[in-house]
Amino acid sequence: MKIDAFDKLLWILLSVVLIALALLLWQGSHRSGASGKSVSDRAMERELTYQARVALVQKLYGPVEELRSKGELQSALLKLDELARLYPGEAHGYILQAEILQQLGLIETALTNYVAGIRLDGDYIDKKSPLSRREEISRFVAEAERSIGSRAAANPSNRTLAVARKDLNYLKSRLAGGCE
Amino acid sequence: MRLIFAVPNTALKSLALFTALICALLLSGCNAKQEHKVMKIGYMICNSEQETMDRFAPLTRYLSDKTGIEFEPVPVDTQDFEPRFKKGEFALTHGNSLLYVILRERYTLTLLAAEKRGRFGSRTGGAIIARKDSGITKLADIKGKRMVFGPMLAPTGYLAEYDLMLRSGIDPEKDLAYYAIPPGSFKHEKLIYAVLYGQFDVAAAPLLDLELMVKEGKISAEDFVILAQTPIIPYCTFGAAKDTDPKIVAKVRQALLELTPETTVEVGGERVKVLKTAWIDGFEELKDSDYNPIREMAKRVNMPPYATY
Repeated sequence: MKIDAFDKLLWILLSVVLIALALLLWQGSHRSGASGKSVSDRAMERELTYQARVALVQKLYGPVEELRSKGELQSALLKLDELARLYPGEAHGYILQAEILQQLGLIETALTNYVAGIRLDGDYIDKKSPLSRREEISRFVAEAERSIGSRAAANPSNRTLAVARKDLNYLKSRLAGGCE
Repeated sequence: MRLIFAVPNTALKSLALFTALICALLLSGCNAKQEHKVMKIGYMICNSEQETMDRFAPLTRYLSDKTGIEFEPVPVDTQDFEPRFKKGEFALTHGNSLLYVILRERYTLTLLAAEKRGRFGSRTGGAIIARKDSGITKLADIKGKRMVFGPMLAPTGYLAEYDLMLRSGIDPEKDLAYYAIPPGSFKHEKLIYAVLYGQFDVAAAPLLDLELMVKEGKISAEDFVILAQTPIIPYCTFGAAKDTDPKIVAKVRQALLELTPETTVEVGGERVKVLKTAWIDGFEELKDSDYNPIREMAKRVNMPPYATY
């Protein structure tokens, strides 16, 4: 069989196409490997962001914790007011405020703050979260139940206690696994 | 003509009777309008008469709309509150919790509802503060210092702190270099600034004012040290004179408790939020016994309604 110039040209073109195809396949497989890595990257990024948030929260609210540990509860509350101006939607501030108010024996106002904090961020009742306060909140709910329940039963027409009762039920529902 | 004269006598009599009835009805309407009663609400002035009217005009309108009773706001100076109430110048009262105790003890004022504002709701407290860099670190250090109090009838700007000092073995009359009360309006803010800028060493500051000033960025929490804190006691309170119709009392109480941050009312052609305009978060039902800590403080400090001379 005689191979003429036209055949040679065809063979060359075919080779170019095959090489290009091989290159494309190689690149494709390389890319799919890259995208697999990016999924794990994203998970890592999420984890890093979360860890960074936890670290930031702990750093920001560190002075509040310090004042609390020294028993300077009013100063701690004022510091929280200051932080609330900078980070108004931060759930951690509500949770800390709730804990301090609980320490001061102000059950209803503590309850309002726990509800506000948990509505903003459910991590505080998530067992696995480093921010979790699940046990403390469960103990508080039991205490509030005794305090508010008996008063609400004795004063059924008291609207303030009715609102507190509603808040209490919300916390109980969230602790039981209910969603927002 | 003939027709008119043909009208029977009984028909004429009926017409006359009907006319008389209409006239009587119209006249009774006029009388009712003349007797239309306006109930007045005395509002304790915090800073100025104008500010008090601006704050409480919408709340008063809301109460009128809600109860069907026409109310009128009356701004009243704290010192004049009792004599003007005694004269019957207003039937409903809105004032601080010490005024409530005074009017309750002396005139059997009925408790309607307590105002909620700030983190402690219907209650608040007082604190004795100093500048952080003043070297004053504990309550005992205030002996021999210059102190500034709030107005004398302020439960958490004077009474509670004065009582706290007495209970801690510090007699404000003997153990301070001197003490003063700022003149004019915004007394509570003035005394906090007076400590911040060094005019006084220590101050009797209401926790609510500290909280609001920090939230508004006027002061920093780190500028001050809280040397001591008073118990948490009820805040501003609505009351009614003892002879007020119980139905009106119930209606007003219910209207106050039903207020939400979304409640609006039209005043001067403008629709405004009632609570926000009045600087109030809401109202709460309290019992008279919730005011007992104030009674105990007033007794210890020898203040009205228990002052003895």
